[in-house]
Amino acid sequence: MSPLADLSFEVLDGVVVARLQGEIDMSNASDLGAAITARVPSDARGLVVDLTAVHYLDSAGIKALFELRERLMGRGQEIKLAFADDSPIATTLEYAGVQSTLGSAPTVQGAIADLED
Amino acid sequence: MASEDAPQLISIPGPGQEFLGTGDPLTLEETPGQLEHIYRLADPALSELALEPLLDELLARAKDILRVDTVAILLLDENGNELVARAAKGLEEEVERGVRIPVGEGFAGRIAAGRRPIYIADVHHADILNPILRMKGVRSLLGVPLLVEGSALGVLHVGTVTPREFTNADAALLQLVAAQAAPAIDRARLFEALDREHRSAVALQRSLLPDRLPDLVGIDCATRYLPARAEVGGDWYDVIDLPGGHVGLAIGDVAGHGLRAAALMGQLRAGLRAYALDGHSPADTLKRLDRMLQTISGRGMATAGYAVVDPASGTMRYASAGHPPPIVVRAGREAHLLEVKAAPPLGSLPFAAFHETQERLAPGDTILLYTDGLIERRREPLTAGLERLRALAATRATAEQLCQRVVEQLLPPGGGDDDIAVVALRVVPVEAAMRVRFAADPRVLSQMRRMLSRWLREHGAQPDEIAAMTLACGEACGNAIEHAYAPGVAYFELEATHANGLVTLRVRDTGRWRAPRGANRGRGLKIIAAGVDELDLHTTEAGTEVVMRRRLGAPK
Repeated sequence: MSPLADLSFEVLDGVVVARLQGEIDMSNASDLGAAITARVPSDARGLVVDLTAVHYLDSAGIKALFELRERLMGRGQEIKLAFADDSPIATTLEYAGVQSTLGSAPTVQGAIADLED
Repeated sequence: MASEDAPQLISIPGPGQEFLGTGDPLTLEETPGQLEHIYRLADPALSELALEPLLDELLARAKDILRVDTVAILLLDENGNELVARAAKGLEEEVERGVRIPVGEGFAGRIAAGRRPIYIADVHHADILNPILRMKGVRSLLGVPLLVEGSALGVLHVGTVTPREFTNADAALLQLVAAQAAPAIDRARLFEALDREHRSAVALQRSLLPDRLPDLVGIDCATRYLPARAEVGGDWYDVIDLPGGHVGLAIGDVAGHGLRAAALMGQLRAGLRAYALDGHSPADTLKRLDRMLQTISGRGMATAGYAVVDPASGTMRYASAGHPPPIVVRAGREAHLLEVKAAPPLGSLPFAAFHETQERLAPGDTILLYTDGLIERRREPLTAGLERLRALAATRATAEQLCQRVVEQLLPPGGGDDDIAVVALRVVPVEAAMRVRFAADPRVLSQMRRMLSRWLREHGAQPDEIAAMTLACGEACGNAIEHAYAPGVAYFELEATHANGLVTLRVRDTGRWRAPRGANRGRGLKIIAAGVDELDLHTTEAGTEVVMRRRLGAPK
């Protein structure tokens, strides 16, 4: 079986960018969350989770994102999401009523810029 | 003692007194007794025997005719440095104890090195390495080389426990025995070496081919692989589980046979799979494979075909590199050859270009890939075999039945000279109602989503409806997984029905639905509510059932 989701990392302007691809559900959400947490050093300016290439996200994924946010907030770090306004991610967050709670921007660059504000 | 009357025999009377012969051929006296001996030793019936019985029979006759107490055959080992006892009469211990004599040393060693007969009148006075000869009390020895095309592959010697003067005639008869034995031994060794190579090639080939087909949603897949009888070839097949629920089907045929072809096949199979998993199109995949093959030194050539099938839409894209065309079977009604744009085999032309053909497979249709071993027959044009295959394939059958049928009907009696590989993929017709039992494991969720979205699509749902309902169902199934419990493995069931534009999804499990606890459970319910028109929950002693309904084509 090919893996459900792919994860890669980049550092731009001191911000860790975690790029996700594919589908996130109960089978991989917490593992992905843990993998991302492990890659954010305490001196990073913040974390951007790039979801532009994710085409499925459900409540398990939302839960993992919230947990990630909590862990980073404990260290004084912020998290921003990147996804298109009309993507499945936007739909899921809207259905779950959390579209504004987790800050987001349509692009990675936009999300990085938001972190600086 | 050396005798002036027998100049042709090389005699070793004692250490330091070695005589090298003149090399004149030995002659036989044609007396009636001798003739009879010759017939016995040159008996054509002997050539019918396999190696072991042949040696056994020859040695027995030689021992009898020459009136000796021991007869033995030693053969050169693989390195050609030592002689190893192989068969013996009266000297069986020599064989059992694995006595080894270095070439050039001792009695047998000098025969092999010099490629000439040697006669030892009395072993007490000679340089004999072999402890067994001494042990047995052998006194006189006569030995000749076993020659094939001028090189020695071993030694044949006879001995007596009482001193004996071997004559020219004795030596000639012994050489007659050697002349029978040597070619037979040579042939047998050749077959042994070929067989070893064949067996390791077969082992390599088996390890390179997939041993389990992936579990794929919405399709029915079967394969067959029949290696060639005599020598391994380089045929391969592959079924690749691609992202997004697509399936890759590969078929290939490396030119040539043996270990080399099998090894190259392994490289090509792995290369194609890697390019396919990277998401390259069929044409691009073959192009990359072709370029890769060009970089392998001593490269061969291979034909190949690669298809990517999307079971959800039934779309198939196919590219070929000189490979016979796949057969498209329309739900048991008819079968035809896929029209393929011609392209050269991999590795045959620099900068070759590969093209794609597209075809739609409706539910129930099958695509069949194969290698030419299935259709090639001697003294028959390839098109005849192809037509035979096509006609056979036009049948209502599952992928498994189709593979079985074509192989049974087309395999030549006694097996083929060429490998045969077959892959069949059938798009499974969508049921009016879908009812599936899943193990209560988070890993089944992606499979559930694929099956449900395909089912919804076939029932006319729009993409946004499919996304919303799949998401809702995903939440319900996730909940079932979380609180499912049972002795042993826990399961949940998904049932999807469609009547007059109303879709009903039921998720049944054996657990108890827990009221939303923590923020996240509430989110799950909200997601379901947003995706469907109605949500009902029944909890009984047996378990929980979640029922979700949505009207298709109505705004939400």
